[in-house]
Amino acid sequence: MVIFLYDGSFEGLLTAIYEAYYRQPRPEQIMTQREYQPDLFSQPIIIESDPEKAGKVYRAIEQKISREALEHIYYVFLSELPGAGTLIFHYLQLGWRLGGDINGHLAVEPVRQVLKISQRVGLERHRMLGLLRFQKINGQGEGALYYAAFEPDYNILELIAPHFSRRLADQNWIIHDVKRKLAAFYNQKEWVIGELPAVGQLNWAENEAFYQELWQRYFERIAVEGRTNRKLQRQYMPVRYWRHLIEKPGKH
Amino acid sequence: MELVEKLSILSAAAKYDVSCSSSGSNRKNKPGGLGNAAASGICHSWSQDGRCISLLKILQTNYCVYDCAYCVNRVSNDLPRATFTPEEVADLTINFYRRNYIEGLFLSSAIWPNPNQTMEALLRTVKLLRNQHRFNGYIHVKAIPGADWRLIAETGTLVDRMSVNIELPTSESLKLLAPQKKRDNILQPMKLIGSQIVETQEERKRSRKVPSFVPAGQSTQLIIGATPDTDLRILQLAESLYRQVHLKRVYYSAYVPVSTNPRLPALAAPPLHREHRLYQADWLLRFYGFEAKELLNEANPNFHLQLDPKSDWALRNLHMFPLEVNKADYRFLLRVPGIGVRSAQRIITARRFHSLDFTDLQKMGVVMKRARYFLTCKGKYYGQVPYREETIKEQLLAQPKGKENFTQLSLFSDFDNQYPVQDAISSITGEL
Repeated sequence: MVIFLYDGSFEGLLTAIYEAYYRQPRPEQIMTQREYQPDLFSQPIIIESDPEKAGKVYRAIEQKISREALEHIYYVFLSELPGAGTLIFHYLQLGWRLGGDINGHLAVEPVRQVLKISQRVGLERHRMLGLLRFQKINGQGEGALYYAAFEPDYNILELIAPHFSRRLADQNWIIHDVKRKLAAFYNQKEWVIGELPAVGQLNWAENEAFYQELWQRYFERIAVEGRTNRKLQRQYMPVRYWRHLIEKPGKH
Repeated sequence: MELVEKLSILSAAAKYDVSCSSSGSNRKNKPGGLGNAAASGICHSWSQDGRCISLLKILQTNYCVYDCAYCVNRVSNDLPRATFTPEEVADLTINFYRRNYIEGLFLSSAIWPNPNQTMEALLRTVKLLRNQHRFNGYIHVKAIPGADWRLIAETGTLVDRMSVNIELPTSESLKLLAPQKKRDNILQPMKLIGSQIVETQEERKRSRKVPSFVPAGQSTQLIIGATPDTDLRILQLAESLYRQVHLKRVYYSAYVPVSTNPRLPALAAPPLHREHRLYQADWLLRFYGFEAKELLNEANPNFHLQLDPKSDWALRNLHMFPLEVNKADYRFLLRVPGIGVRSAQRIITARRFHSLDFTDLQKMGVVMKRARYFLTCKGKYYGQVPYREETIKEQLLAQPKGKENFTQLSLFSDFDNQYPVQDAISSITGEL
C-alpha cells in the first residue's frame, strides 16, 4: 500500500494531492510524517512541499469546485484528526467530478464526513470566541498586555485571532495555544503567529485579581438556585475547557 | 459600600430576567474604540443553572417604589439594597469586556424614585460607555414604563436592544399581582419603540448617516405560572406582539417562588416543564409557519405535558400525513415532528441529487423516532405500527423518560423528576 507522507503543513498536503495525480504508483493514503506508523505492508513515499504545485491545486479547487469546498478542507486539515489527509484526498477526487455541487451530495460518505468535521472545527472556533479568558499583565514601557491561554481540541488559533484583532483592537494581547506551543501576538496594528513555549508565573497587573474576583462573584450570583442544572452546564461548556476559565473554582 | 458587595446584590437582583442574547446586531468597532457586536451572538459562559451568560446582567438599582407580589425586589421585601453609579457600571463593563468575560451589558433597574429619574440614570450609563469609553459592544437596556418618551428615544439611538417587560399576560393578572402597574403604560412604549424601529430602518435605507435605533430589535418577558392564565392566552399574546409590534423575541420565565404572598400559588419549584413547551411553541410561531390557533384552542387551552407541541398538532392532523420525503414542499416538511429548519433544508438540498431513504434521513439529523410515523421514503412507510392516532401516540409516549424533555432551551438535556407532580399541574392550570 502506497502512502504519501507530507510535512504537516497545508502546503505540504496540497503538494501531496498534486503528486497523487502525476506520480505512479498512486497513493491509497495521505498522512503527515508524524502520523505515520511503519508496518510491513505499507510503502511510504515522502513528498517535499512545493509552493508552486500547492498553489496550482489551491486555485484548481477554488475554480473547479468552489471557494466553500476550499474552506471546508482547510477546516478539516486544522482538525488534525487521524485520516484527515486521506479524507480530503477522497473528497477532492469526488469534487473534480461533481464540481460546485459537491456539498449537496449529503448521502455520499466523504462529503458527509468533511462537512461534519468542518462543522465541529467551526463549532470549537465559535465556542472559543466566548470561552477565551484574558489576564492583564504588567507590561514594560508600552503598557499593559493581555494574555490568554487555551488548549483547543483543534488547531483553531488562526481562526480566532482575526476576531480579537477587530474586537480588542486598542489593547496588546497574546493568545497562547499551550498544547501546540503556538501563540498569536497582537500589537494594536497586526497579529502574527509564532512559537511560544510554556510561560512561567505571570506578573499580574494591579487590578487583575480584583476583576477576577468580581467575575467569580458575578458567576456565582447570577445562577437561579431553583433551576440548578449542572448537566446542562457541562453539555454546553465541556469540563476539558475549565482549566483556563476564571469562573470555575479549583481549575489549577 | 464595596463594589464587590454591590455587584453581588445587583446581579442577584437581576437574575430573574431571562434574556441574555447578544445576537442580531453587527455594530462595528471604530478606530481607537473598543469592541464590536457579532450578529450571531456569542455565549461566554454557562452558569450552574445551565443558562448561558453572554452579557453582564445587572440592575442599576434594586431600590423600588413598587410592590409587585411576584418580584424579589418589591418594596415590602426585606433584602439588602444597593445602587450603582453610572461610572461603576461602565468600569465593570469595560474591564469584563477587555478580559473577554462578556459580550456586553444588559442593564435593567427597579423603579427609584420615579420612572423618569430611573430612565435618566440608565441613559447616563449608556452615554458614558458609548461616548467616553468609545465602547462599541452590545448593550441591552430596559425601557422604563411611564418614563418620558424623549429619554427612551435617546437611549434607543445608543443601544442595540431595548425591552419592556410585560410581566403578566393579562390586565386581570396585573391587577392581582402588580396593582401599581397598568397594562397600557407597558404597551405604549412598546408600540412607540416598534414604530421608531420601522421608521429608522426606512430612513437608513436612504441615508446611512441616520443613527441606528435599537438595531437588534425589541423583546419582552412574561412570567409563567404565577397566575391562572392559560397557554392559549399567552401564545395569542405572543403572536400579536410578533405581528403588530414587530417584537424580536418573547421570553417566558417560569415563576420562581420568591415570596409567600397569599395571592401567589404555593409552588415548591418553578414550572420549567410548561416554560419549555411555550418556548417550543414560540419557535413554531416564528420559524415554522404555525399560528397559535392551530396549536391550541378553547377546548385544549394548555399544552400536552408529555408531547411536544408539534407532535401533538401532527397527531390531531393525521389526514395531512404521511408525507413523501422526496416530494413534499419545504413548508410541509417543516411541519413534520422530528424535522427542524436545518434538516428540512438539508433534505431539500440533498434530494436534488439523490432520492432519500430512511438511513439517509437518520444520518442527516432527522429525529427518526418521531419523524418515522409521519413520513414515507420512496413510498415506503417505516412507522411499524398501524397508521392511527392512538397507536402512534402510544409509541411517541412510550419513549424512555428523560430523553426528550423539558429544561430551559435545550432539547437534549435530561430532566430528573425532581419536581412534585402537583406543581406541574398547578403551573399548568395556574390554580392558586
